[in-house]
Amino acid sequence: MADETSDNFFNEFLDDYFAESEEHLAIVRNRLLAIEQFVGKASVDSAHLDELFRSFHTLKGISAMVGLTPAEELAHKMESYLGALREGRISLLPEGFEALIEGTRTLEKVIGAYRNNESLPDIDRSSELIESLTGAKPQTGSAAETKDTEPVTETGKSTTSQQWRFVFVPGAVHAAAGVNVNSVRASLQNIGEIIRSTPLIQEGEIAFEFIVVSDASETDLAGLEKSGLTFGPLVEPSPESEVEVAGGSEPSTATASTSSAASAFVRVDLVRLDQLMLFVSDLVVSKARLETQLKSMRGSISDRDWRGLQEINAAFGKQLRDLRHGVMRIRMVPIGEIFERMRFVVRDLSRETGKTVVLDIRGADTEIDKFLVERLMDPLLHLVRNAISHGIEGEAERLAAGKSPAGHVRLRAHTAGEVVVIEISDDGRGIDTEEIAARNPHLQLFDAAGEIDAPQLLKIISTPGFSTRDQVDRASGRGVGMDVVHQAITELEGTVSLETTRGEGTLFRITLPLTLAITDALIASVGGHMFALQQSAVNEVVEIDPKSIKIMENNEIVLYRNHVLPLVRLSNVFGYEKKESGTLYAFVVGSGSRATALVVDKVLGLREVVVRSLTDPLLDIKGIAGATELGDGRPILILDAMEILSVAATN
Amino acid sequence: MKTEQETKILIVDDSRTIRRMIAKSLANIHRTTFEEAENGLEAIERLVLGPVSLMVLDLNMPEMHGIEVLKFVRSRPAYKSMPVVVLTTRGDDVSQADALAAGASLYLTKPFSPQELENKVRQLLT
Amino acid sequence: MKDSLATAMFSEATSNKFILFELMNTTYGVRSAFVRRLEMLENITPVPNSSATVEGVVLSRGRIIPAVNLRTRFGFPKVPFDIRTRLVIVESEGRTVGLIVDSSREFKTINEADIKLPPEGITNLNGEYLEGIATVDGRMILVLSLNEILKVGDPVSEATIDLSQKEQSDQQKVRTS
Repeated sequence: MADETSDNFFNEFLDDYFAESEEHLAIVRNRLLAIEQFVGKASVDSAHLDELFRSFHTLKGISAMVGLTPAEELAHKMESYLGALREGRISLLPEGFEALIEGTRTLEKVIGAYRNNESLPDIDRSSELIESLTGAKPQTGSAAETKDTEPVTETGKSTTSQQWRFVFVPGAVHAAAGVNVNSVRASLQNIGEIIRSTPLIQEGEIAFEFIVVSDASETDLAGLEKSGLTFGPLVEPSPESEVEVAGGSEPSTATASTSSAASAFVRVDLVRLDQLMLFVSDLVVSKARLETQLKSMRGSISDRDWRGLQEINAAFGKQLRDLRHGVMRIRMVPIGEIFERMRFVVRDLSRETGKTVVLDIRGADTEIDKFLVERLMDPLLHLVRNAISHGIEGEAERLAAGKSPAGHVRLRAHTAGEVVVIEISDDGRGIDTEEIAARNPHLQLFDAAGEIDAPQLLKIISTPGFSTRDQVDRASGRGVGMDVVHQAITELEGTVSLETTRGEGTLFRITLPLTLAITDALIASVGGHMFALQQSAVNEVVEIDPKSIKIMENNEIVLYRNHVLPLVRLSNVFGYEKKESGTLYAFVVGSGSRATALVVDKVLGLREVVVRSLTDPLLDIKGIAGATELGDGRPILILDAMEILSVAATN
Repeated sequence: MKTEQETKILIVDDSRTIRRMIAKSLANIHRTTFEEAENGLEAIERLVLGPVSLMVLDLNMPEMHGIEVLKFVRSRPAYKSMPVVVLTTRGDDVSQADALAAGASLYLTKPFSPQELENKVRQLLT
Repeated sequence: MKDSLATAMFSEATSNKFILFELMNTTYGVRSAFVRRLEMLENITPVPNSSATVEGVVLSRGRIIPAVNLRTRFGFPKVPFDIRTRLVIVESEGRTVGLIVDSSREFKTINEADIKLPPEGITNLNGEYLEGIATVDGRMILVLSLNEILKVGDPVSEATIDLSQKEQSDQQKVRTS
């Protein structure tokens, strides 16, 4: 058990813990759905089991480290059950699968409650359930017998595929070029399935050997030689790989089989990514300064030189935009992660409502910004819930309408230019527009041709409080939380649209910008007002003792690191009251001889914020770049440091 | 004993959180830098790329089990004497005896006490 | 009341419906076709160096929009906001702006025929923003021309500059009094 000191010691890792738990829970949800098809069969695809086992193992380990004992205990039980499955001691029966789902849900709740400082839910039921199933007698005979006859899906490759042996010799030169064992593995996973990876000694050097099953041709593979790989066909399949296909229990071979479509992605540490973003932001600032400098040279150089510089500058601008775009793209994750979670919702709701619902997912590999993932969960949840609770009819009603007894809900995502489009549709009864119109005679829901005015309808059902009007809600079959959906999407700078046909179904279409303007911002206060400043524009945050401020030619200055640093008080620029006493803080912006300290009363912290543009002409004010909101409903202005300095200079 | 001033510790664990926790536990050891690997193959690659003073090794990892990593490392003359701390989750199937037999210098279980880990690592480094 | 108000906002085609609000004990009306919703005024963030008519920015259903104080806009003295203060969110020509008024709780149908052109006498400061004056049940309602009010906010208009300068001095008077 972690003692008291280590509890405190590890407190700063709680965010890491929650982030990593979430990743593993996502893997677990995914893999659980993937193994559902093996329920009742003698054996389960070992790659899925390995991944599940490892995720619970990690959840157990990290939960233990942060002292979250119930999570540790439950994860341990789940791991043991999966271990028994993996070793073939038990087979996956429906109650076992249910217990896994149930346990996962409880584990999510425990971690969620811990995160929100709520009292932890009871784990006993889930824990005992899974434990009782693990303890079940090993099923001798029957399971072993059927094992050979049961075809193991997903390992079956087309007949044209072949085994290849790749050898990679790691070294400093490769490492410097960004080629390492992880990147090599990732590129091999792109061309096929790695069935074994082991270190070996080759000519006195350490090397790595990968056995890959791939249907790529030799010429396809030739490109890989550039990254330091040598390869050749493997004539005889190694005995290990046979064990592996048969679902072997040896730990070394079992672990070697971890390959999946998902692991074709290189995992990037978010911290490193943020750093990269900062570098890019720095470049953007430098570019802006370069431009200003260029403009000031206009009169003093020849037209020919000027044109040359302009061309280079324009090319630089384009490359910078591409780079920025590229870096933003790294933040993208497949939307499938959220879609898969909806499967759980559908399972639950279809059980609750007694309706059979088939969930059809398309475009799961569409990528969206990581930032969007968390914020899309609630709106999608609302829409899927509404589709099943209100849209999809009961079986009798469906049959009477000449429809298939099972309702269909479709989640679809695709990108179109700079936007990502997400559609949630059902083949249910559609929104009863006539009913809404009849109850609200003053509304104009139909146009001259008698067609539904969909935007108008959407506006109505998205009105806060609309859903509380029970009658209309029941009649419309919609409205629950639609205002929440609308608001969440608007906050992400997106839009919602609606199509509905009576008796045929309803479709909601969410359109979101592919990348959001997200930035790290320093939050400060001046004269009692909060402001944000892009962190990338700030070189340093310094404390200033008011006594050390000197006046030189009407300007306030301080000596800082043996340099004269001019001060610009934001309170002056904005006409706010000057802080009378106590330490001041300043953001050092600009560098070298142009460095200036932007003085604020207090620095409140660093936050990741969504930059919202202020488009209204009333808000076109020099020095104010946009606004954001920190979650309390109060807008905060984002300042443009360079513009603030130029405003101050003209005053 | 080499006269290098800098101590390079290689932390091998598939959990990012755990790697950070280990690094923080050992951060006070004089002139220490950390290298991280999230699987066995990556760990071996790191060893190839430059000398490492000590390795903290998890056992249950993807790609290659920690015990296999340990056996491989010990089979190489260059890494015969490098201290390796096996830090595994309690209740794992590999016993202390197995780990020591494979060449572990020390066997600790998670959850670990940062103080204990630091003390033991200091002892191994002197 | 709340229902009829909310639903009225969506019936753009019915142009003779108005949202009524109070300012300096006078009743004004704005066509409901332009009004998106009414909100309580909370969490307003002042915008430094903006026109004095801009009281600040507010977050309204996920968007950050300017809030114009109609008292300052019309050169009236400012009063502290209270629980009756309302933000009338209007939408026109692609812009969404909040108008801060003393209170608002009524929705009314006014016959177009009852709206008369404002008399010459009051086409001074706020006269040009009036579409007309209606008398309904013995009450006088000043019908606002919303497009005019919002247009004035546009910095390219010279009228804005003159007006805002005047307002700034008004405001200073209020502050020092």
